[in-house]
Amino acid sequence: MVLADLGRKITTALQSLSRATVINEEVLNSMLKQICAALLEADVNIRLVKNLRENVRAVIDFDDMAGGLNKRRMIQSAVFKELVKLVDPGVKPYQPVKGKSNVIMFVGLQGSGKTTTCTKLAYHYLRKNWKSCLVCADTFRAGAYDQVKQNCTKARIPFYGSYTEVDPVVIASTGVEMFKKEGFEMIIVDTSGRHKQEESLFEEMLAVANAVNPDNIIFVMDATIGQACEAQARAFKDKVDIGSVIITKLDGHAKGGGALSAVAATQSPIIFIGTGEHIDDLEPFKTKPFINKLLGMGDIEGLLDK
Amino acid sequence: MFSIFKGLVGSKALDEDSMRPVLDKMRDHLIAKNVAADIANKLCDSVATKLRGKVLGTFDSVAKTIKATLTESLVQILSPKRRVDILRDCLHAKQQGRPYVMAFCGVNGVGKSTNLAKICFWLIENDLSVMIAACDTFRAGAVEQLRTHVRRLDALHPNRSCVRLYEKGYGKDAAGIAMEAIRYAADSKIDVVLIDTAGRMQDNEPLMRALAKLITVNEPDLVLFVGEALVGNEAVDQLVKFNQALADYSSSANPHVIDGIVLTKFDTIDDKVGAAISMTYITGQPIVFVGTGQTYTDLKALNANAVVHALMK
Ligand SMILES: Nc1nc2c(ncn2[C@@H]2O[C@H](COP(=O)(O)OP(=O)(O)OP(=O)(O)O)[C@@H](O)[C@H]2O)c(=O)[nH]1
Ligand SMILES: Nc1nc2c(ncn2[C@@H]2O[C@H](COP(=O)(O)OP(=O)(O)OP(=O)(O)O)[C@@H](O)[C@H]2O)c(=O)[nH]1
Ligand SMILES: [Mg+2]
Ligand SMILES: [Mg+2]
Repeated sequence: MVLADLGRKITTALQSLSRATVINEEVLNSMLKQICAALLEADVNIRLVKNLRENVRAVIDFDDMAGGLNKRRMIQSAVFKELVKLVDPGVKPYQPVKGKSNVIMFVGLQGSGKTTTCTKLAYHYLRKNWKSCLVCADTFRAGAYDQVKQNCTKARIPFYGSYTEVDPVVIASTGVEMFKKEGFEMIIVDTSGRHKQEESLFEEMLAVANAVNPDNIIFVMDATIGQACEAQARAFKDKVDIGSVIITKLDGHAKGGGALSAVAATQSPIIFIGTGEHIDDLEPFKTKPFINKLLGMGDIEGLLDK
Repeated sequence: MFSIFKGLVGSKALDEDSMRPVLDKMRDHLIAKNVAADIANKLCDSVATKLRGKVLGTFDSVAKTIKATLTESLVQILSPKRRVDILRDCLHAKQQGRPYVMAFCGVNGVGKSTNLAKICFWLIENDLSVMIAACDTFRAGAVEQLRTHVRRLDALHPNRSCVRLYEKGYGKDAAGIAMEAIRYAADSKIDVVLIDTAGRMQDNEPLMRALAKLITVNEPDLVLFVGEALVGNEAVDQLVKFNQALADYSSSANPHVIDGIVLTKFDTIDDKVGAAISMTYITGQPIVFVGTGQTYTDLKALNANAVVHALMK
């Protein structure tokens, strides 16, 4: 499972509390040290890790407390809350409405998996009998339109793009307009990869967003990313109205924790994860069940009940 | 009073307790700069080992001494133990009447094909002729991506044929296509063959075996691992497992592993340059090229001092 390694390490750290005879500052610090090390090894943003440590510490006042059980419970639930905060921004994801035109725009860093994931998502809805289609508004990357064309042809997804038009704004608005007229329900717009350091690329993203007025903008993040994630994700969010996150390439050994920083930075929930290069390697993602599974919630709840 | 006096004359030897707080800070600093956690720990431990028992001079502080020692190790890690001189080696192969062959490998989407095209540009600007072997026969659009690059690059010098594409479409055996491309290049007196391969996850055994086969069968002169500067702790696992797969799945007695690294997307990370350290620390191999953008000229050599400066800032 995703982040299984991290889950195991955190659970072990939490269990050290129940083994300790007295819960004092030393025990807490050693547990927090283990948890923070595990989070850092999983690429979670170092600032978020420091916040987590401070927040858990702040919950406990050793001078002011008596019972050991009480302390245990408080510490464990504080850790749990902080972990949930990492993955759960507390907002509901956009829900596409069947029978109406839903325009979804994909954005993200170069090579993060946007084009592949666009096809996967279109296919996901196609199989549920939605009229879904793809617009290729990447006029920059060599072979981008061929990639969309081949993917869509194979999956029988209608697509729109151009070999000659160089302006992504023109392609995006023409394509979206056309598919709207034809009554498509899921209209997905693929865009070029970009990064915050190149202002013109960000302006282009904004121009495409303004032209197609999407119902949702999905930020695609590669699970292998490290500490650079947060600044990039934040910059994307500052430029356009990101509403959801998809994390790709979780089929590898990836720790995935770096990509979690995108949730905090964009204040947007993860809605799917990508687990392979094939068209059906896409899994819906739900925050709470994920955390439960990550920490073996049965255990945690048991601990909390005592 | 006495201890202050001791501090002043600088006769106190460094021990674990005096170094630990500074080392912990340093480690967090390195992690924040995107050095893999495990490697940040090892680096700090080795600094501690080096300095343990050392007596500080009058004006040295613990922090300053640790910083200087760490800086020194970082420069050393980034300084190539072995020079890779591709242009010289290309000419050498040419004299032997054969093409010089480079293979590019790495995980998905890191920039293999794009940086292969940039390196192709650099080679043709150095008057070499190039054949690109389209051995990614899996990802949609991979062949057309290379064809577009070849068309653009070949148009740069209308008076000579600089670069050609060898492709057999999709679904075919990559090792076989590479072999045909090399043979074709030899017959046509083309100087360099660049082999593009499909991206693959380091844990995907069938795909890793296929890569090992491609390398074993075709014996390239240079195997380059392409990794992006964005990658976090995963850098370690990628490199360890690519190297291991090339060694373990090779049928050769003397398997060819990774010779060097192409570090891409260096323009996307600001000063979080730690992946450069993680990758060189793990392999001991040099970063041969740094990718700094999406156009043909965005290819640089690594400046070790600048990277270390960004890391320690
Ligand atoms: N293993 C694995 N590979 C993936 C996944 N998603 C995408 N990829 C691969 O990642 C590489 C890059 O994917 P693309 O879809 O081209 O990425 P992109 O974001 O559109 O790239 P640009 O348009 O160049 O910015 C390809 O080799 C994909 O097959 C995934 O979930 N798992
Ligand atoms: N900013 C930036 N983008 C880069 C750099 N190198 C490559 N890219 C972009 O990264 C994306 C992926 O590049 P590719 O060359 O297709 O990557 P790949 O490793 O061949 O991908 P697969 O073959 O699908 O595994 C493209 O959008 C490139 O333009 C770089 O140095 N800087
Ligand atoms: Mg794309
Ligand atoms: Mg490629």
